[in-house]
Amino acid sequence: MHNQVLIFLLLSLWLIGCSDSSEQLDKASQDNTSEVNSYYAENPDFFTFSAKEALPQNLTWHTGMDLPDIGSTLAIKGGTEYARLDDFPRTLRVVGPDSNGSFRPYILDDVSMQLAHRHPDEFVFYPGLADSWAIDRATKTIYVKLDTNARWSDGAPVTSDDFMFMFFFFQSSYIVAPWYNNWYGTQYTNITRFDEHTFSITVPDAKPDMDSRVLELRPIPQHFFKQLGEDYVERYQWKFQPTTGAYMIRDEDIKKGRSITLTRLENWWAKDKKFWRNRFNLDRIQLNVIRDTPKVFEAFKRGDIDQFSLSLAEYWYDKLPNDDPDVQGGYIHKTTFYNQRPRPTYGLWINSARPLLDTKDIRIGINHATNWQLVIDNYFRGDYARMRTSSDGYGEFSHSTLSPRSFDIALAGQHFSKAGFSKRAADGILVNKEGQRLSFTLSTGYESYKDVLTILKEEALKAGLEFRIEMLDGTAGWKKVQEKKHDIHFAAFGVNLEMYPRYWETYHSVNAYDAAFTEDGAVNPERRLKTQSNNLESMASLDMDRLIDQYRISESKHQMIDLAHRMTELHHEYASFVPGFVQDFYRLGHWRWVKYPDGFNHKHSSDAQEFHVHWIDMDEKQETLANRKSGVPYAQAINVYDQFAQ
Amino acid sequence: MLTPQTLKKLRRFRDIKRGYYSFLILAGLLIIVTMGELLVSDRALVVSYEGELFFPTYGDFHPGSDFGLDYEYEVNYRDLGRSFEGSENWLLMPPVPYSPLENHAPSGIFKPVGPSLAEQHYLGTDTTSRDILARLFYGTRIALYFSLAFMVCVYGIGIAIGCAMGYFGGVFDLIFQRLIEIWSNIPFLYMVIIVFSVIPATFSVPVRIMILLTVMVLFSWTSMTYYMRTETYKEKTRDYIASARIIGASNTRIILRHILPNVLSTLVTFVPFTIVSAITAITALDFLGFGLPPPTPSLGELLKQGTANLRTAPWIVTSAFGTLVILLTLVTFIGEAVRESFDPKKFTIYR
Repeated sequence: MHNQVLIFLLLSLWLIGCSDSSEQLDKASQDNTSEVNSYYAENPDFFTFSAKEALPQNLTWHTGMDLPDIGSTLAIKGGTEYARLDDFPRTLRVVGPDSNGSFRPYILDDVSMQLAHRHPDEFVFYPGLADSWAIDRATKTIYVKLDTNARWSDGAPVTSDDFMFMFFFFQSSYIVAPWYNNWYGTQYTNITRFDEHTFSITVPDAKPDMDSRVLELRPIPQHFFKQLGEDYVERYQWKFQPTTGAYMIRDEDIKKGRSITLTRLENWWAKDKKFWRNRFNLDRIQLNVIRDTPKVFEAFKRGDIDQFSLSLAEYWYDKLPNDDPDVQGGYIHKTTFYNQRPRPTYGLWINSARPLLDTKDIRIGINHATNWQLVIDNYFRGDYARMRTSSDGYGEFSHSTLSPRSFDIALAGQHFSKAGFSKRAADGILVNKEGQRLSFTLSTGYESYKDVLTILKEEALKAGLEFRIEMLDGTAGWKKVQEKKHDIHFAAFGVNLEMYPRYWETYHSVNAYDAAFTEDGAVNPERRLKTQSNNLESMASLDMDRLIDQYRISESKHQMIDLAHRMTELHHEYASFVPGFVQDFYRLGHWRWVKYPDGFNHKHSSDAQEFHVHWIDMDEKQETLANRKSGVPYAQAINVYDQFAQ
Repeated sequence: MLTPQTLKKLRRFRDIKRGYYSFLILAGLLIIVTMGELLVSDRALVVSYEGELFFPTYGDFHPGSDFGLDYEYEVNYRDLGRSFEGSENWLLMPPVPYSPLENHAPSGIFKPVGPSLAEQHYLGTDTTSRDILARLFYGTRIALYFSLAFMVCVYGIGIAIGCAMGYFGGVFDLIFQRLIEIWSNIPFLYMVIIVFSVIPATFSVPVRIMILLTVMVLFSWTSMTYYMRTETYKEKTRDYIASARIIGASNTRIILRHILPNVLSTLVTFVPFTIVSAITAITALDFLGFGLPPPTPSLGELLKQGTANLRTAPWIVTSAFGTLVILLTLVTFIGEAVRESFDPKKFTIYR
């Protein structure tokens, strides 16, 4: 009896304790102003409060206003565009778990504003939230004056405090985003607030593109994240963060699992600004969830969806051929646009830490036994080009003379036999003296490229090499390579519009092993593979490490170009990557009521919608649909824009 | 086993023409697909090269150098045949001279091409220019073998456990019944998907198929036990079993000689429908992408391709769908006939 009372008492005490602490937590998360301020105070080197008078006087301020306009002056505002989402977004947050999906461009990447943006034709910066900026290479500092008119979509002004808070936000563990924690913690060293609209940010190295590190920052609305705390992920899961861009999402436009609609802000603060006035023309963009691509195409053909990407050969040539009645009648326009930008690295990533694959001759043999040219010529119908190196499309930084190893059975055979594989088994696969078969798993998370891999498999058989194809779903495929459990993996890294390629992430030995080499530079026999890094080839070379380290701290463009070329050569020699294909254009089918500027789009655009320069003529939509019904044709339009073809 | 009563049932099955002919066709089909390499293959049946005869269909591959060509990989027999024209050498190709895996694009572009007699692609090609007939043929073979193996395993386990439950009864029955109730509540399709998605690709294709079979059997044998259990309970109480027991027959003898033959007629009627469900299950799994690993030919994979290319390549979906319909109709007809001819009501006055 005594015991029971005791247990009861303990239990109720514990319950009281619980409610106490959760109440405290709730109160604290109501307003984090004091927490933020004390964080600033604890890190005085990073967060500096100064006064307007302290702003250096001899700075050269840039405004970027001499650059040409973006978009077309013919553009009219209005209308609704119907587009497709392949899956309903898992969250409206722009950072944290599940946020980096195919929906994010609509609320962040393509829509919200940075301090300044790279001009899509000229590559230099035009103003976004900044009114002007100044670069001081000696102190590695960028000074920024904000546009005093800049407003969040809820009406609050954008101020220097939102940029101070941005660092607090991205450095905090609440957001559950280690990459951001690391980037905002190591790539910046100081932010100094001069007044409400003036501040400076300092970076650790004066890289040739150090201005982009700062100018491409997006502020975080401090007033919206007052309740930022441990429960960030749940609390902000379906809250639309105020935006500086033209489009917002209203609560009633979120139809979970079915559609989500963007609405243009009537009084968007930047609507008359030089580089923004001809863009974001649609009143509404309704994104419907349609999972199956063939179904999307059918919806497009019915006019339920306004535009459809025709980059895949089967859609461009077979499903919407030039003699299709809708194309013939001029109702649907077909457009090819050649662009210039770094290319995603589609290719075979060979894990050089695996048995057999750690032999260079086998890797070279695999390079020669992989018939990408056949895939390009016969499957992609010659539209794509062979990728030359893993860093194509960076102008001078890309190696101009290096070419990938060609499909050559004899050469493959020579290298395989050097590695001990010279006899063929009963089914034609090479075996070595120990009876090991030359057989590797070729995995991928890209369901849509399954056919490509089966073609490669059949061709590799000729060289006596067996690929066992493993189809995984996207997440499982990525997990596999992040845990370095793959033999050979087919994947691509998406790349941003940047000045020069990155090497550290993919080729530095610290991303391959925990301690790749011993003090004296010999291979550490007890090294263990490092998981969760992007060195998918497990490449570890002291020479490469040295070059990468130089490259990372180099402040001379000339030297960096030289280093980039040497690293590309070294990587080619190591042969752990089979370059696949690059697509130097994009193709699109759109109904004739969707209008584009004269030259169609801008040089560095990655897809037709990226800069939101298109507009929709709703009257023409009615007219076109009526005429299509009654069979009145328009002029056919199959256009190729190759002004930026290389 | 062939008691006069069974013979009578079989005769009745033969009289039901629809089922009987379906059975003959399906049996013929099974024999045909078993020796499929002689009909559908990229390897020649006979090659006569410089006075020597080769039979490449079964056995080791022949590198091109065996026939005076300058490469070490498997010889392309179709090209070889063309190069033989006008010489003493000759070869004989199977009626469908393509393997289900090779990409053969007469136009040089990998895309679906409609049926063509001239190219010997009798049902056309799929999205990567593989012969559809060849893929259907081997896909059907795998589906048929798979479902037969599935049926044998499911019945083996189901009969053994169900019979034991019915015959021994008591605690054994009680425990097993509860176990089966729990087990059969695990959703079968999800389990297959989950288990199959964690199997590494390092296993060869046959091993993966065996694993898929095992998983499917593991989650399918339970339903069979119910029928067996009740039937055995019923038979056990009959007088002839009691007399057998009095004579001193062992349990094994009673089960094998007396009970099994008498309950089998009920079970036989389920067999065709089990096969139907096995074919459907493996096709559905392939369609969803959780079945046989690529590039294994399969009906489900063809169906998937077909639905994605309904407008531009209707021959893909027609072939796959047609084959599936024919296959399932045949098996269902057999099933109906078996059920009717084995119907015990035929022998009673109650109707």
